[in-house]
Amino acid sequence: MRSASAGICLFIMLASGAQTPVAAAGPEWTVETLLTLLKDQREPSVSFEEATYSSLLTEPLKVRGMLRFTPPATMEKSITEPFHERYLIEGDQVTFESERKRVKRTISLEDYPALRTFVEALRASLTGDAVQLHKVYEVTMNGTRSQWTLLLRPKETTGKSMVDYILLTGSEGRVATIAIRSTDGDRSVMTLLRGAAR
Amino acid sequence: MSRRYGVAFLWALAMIGGLWLVLTCVDVHSELADLLPEGTTAPQRLLLTQVRSGIAGRLMLLAIEGGDLEELSELSKQFSERLRGSGHFTLVANGAQGLDPQDRELLFRSRYLLSPQVGPNSFSTESLRQALEQRLDDLRSPLAPLVKQTIPGDPTGEFMMILSAWSRQEGPVKHRGVWVSKDRSKALLFAETKAAGFDADAQAAIQQDVRRMFVSLSGQPSPPRLLMSGPGVFAVEIKQTIEAEAWWLSTAAATLVLLFLYASYRSLTLVLLTLIPLSTGIVAGMLAVQGWSGFIHGITLGFGITLLGVVDDYPIHLFSHLTARSSASAAMDTIWPTMRLGVVTTTIGFASLLLGGFPALIQLGLFATVGILTATLVTRWVLPIFVPNGFLPREVRRGFSSSLERLSEMKLVIPVTVLLACGGLLWSHTPLWETDLASLSPVSDAKKQLDQRLREEMSAPDVRDLLVIEGQTEEDVLQYSEVVMSKLERLRADNVIGGYDLISTYLPSRRMQQERQKSLPERNVVKHNLEQALKGLPFTPGLFTPSLDAIETARTQPLVERKTFEGTALGLKMDSFMHQQPNGWTAVAPLRGVTDRKRLDEIVRGWGLPTIVYLDLKEESNRLMTSYRDRTFAIVVGGLLIITLVLSIGLKSIRVLGPILLPIMSALVVVAAVVNLFGESLSLFHIATFLLVIGLGLDYALFFNRPEGNEEARARTLYGLLVCSTTTILVFGVLASSTIPVLHAIGITAAMGSFCCLLFAGIMAKKELYAAG
Repeated sequence: MRSASAGICLFIMLASGAQTPVAAAGPEWTVETLLTLLKDQREPSVSFEEATYSSLLTEPLKVRGMLRFTPPATMEKSITEPFHERYLIEGDQVTFESERKRVKRTISLEDYPALRTFVEALRASLTGDAVQLHKVYEVTMNGTRSQWTLLLRPKETTGKSMVDYILLTGSEGRVATIAIRSTDGDRSVMTLLRGAAR
Repeated sequence: MSRRYGVAFLWALAMIGGLWLVLTCVDVHSELADLLPEGTTAPQRLLLTQVRSGIAGRLMLLAIEGGDLEELSELSKQFSERLRGSGHFTLVANGAQGLDPQDRELLFRSRYLLSPQVGPNSFSTESLRQALEQRLDDLRSPLAPLVKQTIPGDPTGEFMMILSAWSRQEGPVKHRGVWVSKDRSKALLFAETKAAGFDADAQAAIQQDVRRMFVSLSGQPSPPRLLMSGPGVFAVEIKQTIEAEAWWLSTAAATLVLLFLYASYRSLTLVLLTLIPLSTGIVAGMLAVQGWSGFIHGITLGFGITLLGVVDDYPIHLFSHLTARSSASAAMDTIWPTMRLGVVTTTIGFASLLLGGFPALIQLGLFATVGILTATLVTRWVLPIFVPNGFLPREVRRGFSSSLERLSEMKLVIPVTVLLACGGLLWSHTPLWETDLASLSPVSDAKKQLDQRLREEMSAPDVRDLLVIEGQTEEDVLQYSEVVMSKLERLRADNVIGGYDLISTYLPSRRMQQERQKSLPERNVVKHNLEQALKGLPFTPGLFTPSLDAIETARTQPLVERKTFEGTALGLKMDSFMHQQPNGWTAVAPLRGVTDRKRLDEIVRGWGLPTIVYLDLKEESNRLMTSYRDRTFAIVVGGLLIITLVLSIGLKSIRVLGPILLPIMSALVVVAAVVNLFGESLSLFHIATFLLVIGLGLDYALFFNRPEGNEEARARTLYGLLVCSTTTILVFGVLASSTIPVLHAIGITAAMGSFCCLLFAGIMAKKELYAAG
């Protein structure tokens, strides 16, 4: 099983490697270019560190874990430290499993707008779906190809999303950090660690 | 001469008065619930209350299909908003609704009274430490923004606990926050109507409005479709089917009979004359039922008129005996003794329906009894006046009677058919008695399947299994309900039931709340424990002060009651689980996924709590119907005995009972066998129709066995009999073609019974056996 999925990962990485020169051919540095680059250089799984800053807390809370993405719409965020927790997102379904709370349940993304905003941003980035991204967010890009920032502000202003903005930073086709700031000022910063797959 | 006009004038006056009363006073109902019996046992009464007004009956299942999932879920949201705004429903659910702010605020304020996890140990240092660590997890999770604001006031997570206890029952799958079917082809919703499920008129109006709202939302070239199901939808369909069929069946039957009468006698006058007793009988029957019950049910009216078609036989008998030499009055005098006997015995048959205790049959019995008696009196005293002098129906062929006489050579036919019938009944694979009430439902199979499918997908409670909890006061019921809840929880763990919906999930008893209040420690105790628990955790200092205040307040805060939620969405939900009865309070808990009903029944009985009853609505309604069928059967037998007695007195002989009663009894056996042969089992309605068959059979047998003066007179009598029975067979044959099982049962029984009675009575007839009168 393990070797089979490793094989698939390898295949995807190989395939994306083959496409990179085509994307690089475009000289202009736009959101679309970035998204294509992100899509082409995306890896099937990345490990991450996440720090949560909250007004309720005197110091940030940190977790480590792994992000996985399987096209077209399956994402998994699994926390491995300091406890085990897993969110498996397939389409609109989120399966939530927590070791500490001893629960496993399936919910609809729609019921958790904060999660949805995040998932949509990430999904659109990873699939190169600029249209979807522009539909949901006001997109601002800054910086250069080797050091860029992508600022996403939800267009839905009803306050339902509870997200003020999402800020991605990175270089070329890889994301370095994803920061999410909620409307009440709390934020979480996720640092993606390259090369730690599997 | 003047006496004749006097009678005619009186009749006309009575008829005009009667018609005026019918038009102004008669109240025609169509609510099926009006025809339900009161019930004799406690479970039956519970059942009928539930059927009339229970939540199960008010449930409406809705599904939207035929579009892509995004479109359907968007439509579901808009549609549910419209439905909620319509004012027809106490509850509309599509999976998307959270709490409204008012309820949310109320719940948060009452969290220490409502949360099932508040207990003596909840605020120890250890419990608090565990709770605080969980709050840190919450803050780390992607759901943090949702729970964050409740943390300072609720470090132990009572509010979230309440919410999760409520949402524990697994609903359908969701997409974009709304319920969808497993195959993702439909968006699912359910609603509870304010109107009772049986109130077909109100339900029809609601459904029409719902469809209109849906169409106005989905105005596209190929719009998604709306599917609706539930008891209310069934009630409307049943009503519409009955109304439509009653109309076309009675029109078809009446046209056929009139055409046949005209073809038989080639006389328009005759056809018009036969309408005189019939119409008078109908008017009298309607007024009698109105006077007795205060209303007449549409179904009574439809069937009653069909049954009264029998009285058409009386004028035909009269016309059969008209000769060129005698007046109509004189002819009437000669047949009156025979007719009188037939009428009395037929009336006894129908009158026995009055004793059944089944409102539908009581109305029918009264309608038929009064109608027949009135029609008879009119035939006897009024009709001859309207017969023109020298009016002679068509001559009958001479050889006609001799060909009928040959029937009596076929005597062996009766014992052979009866034996065959008995054998058929004995060895048949079809059960003799119908015990499943559902098979009498006129709802189409397609609709039933849709209902079943939607229920499964929505994991909505079957309308079938309920736990009913009764008590003197609200508090009693809530306390019983709490006892039940722990037991149900165990049953769910053992997979005896799949789930339940119980008032105690939402509203604890006062006693329970007081216990929780007592377990809340004083402020400085909580403060101390909290300080201990917070050591080493990165929470902002002083963060939990609001919770200290809240716990202190909760120790003395007013208890939560049903009334506290009055007017909110939650209040409506609670009202649907619990309501006041004339002699106390009742809580109803729908059960889901019951696998072994017998075992469940035994378990609930084993609890030894007499105020708690498990009710299998289907089983109980079948039992109810079976008990009424048995009673009706007993009445039919009793009626037959009385009829025999009356006959032997009327005929002044026991010896002649044979040729009169034997054909009827044989006919009933044969009818039962043929019905069975067609794969139908006998229901209450077949049995009730046996009475009609007995009445018809008596009429035929009496006239068959009547002594007649000469060959010509006999030929005319027999011709009349043949006409009578053919009209009956026509009317009920049309009825037998109905798709409504009840109508079909009545139709096939009466049509075949009438045919068999005629045939058998003809075979067994003995000329000039007795001298009537």
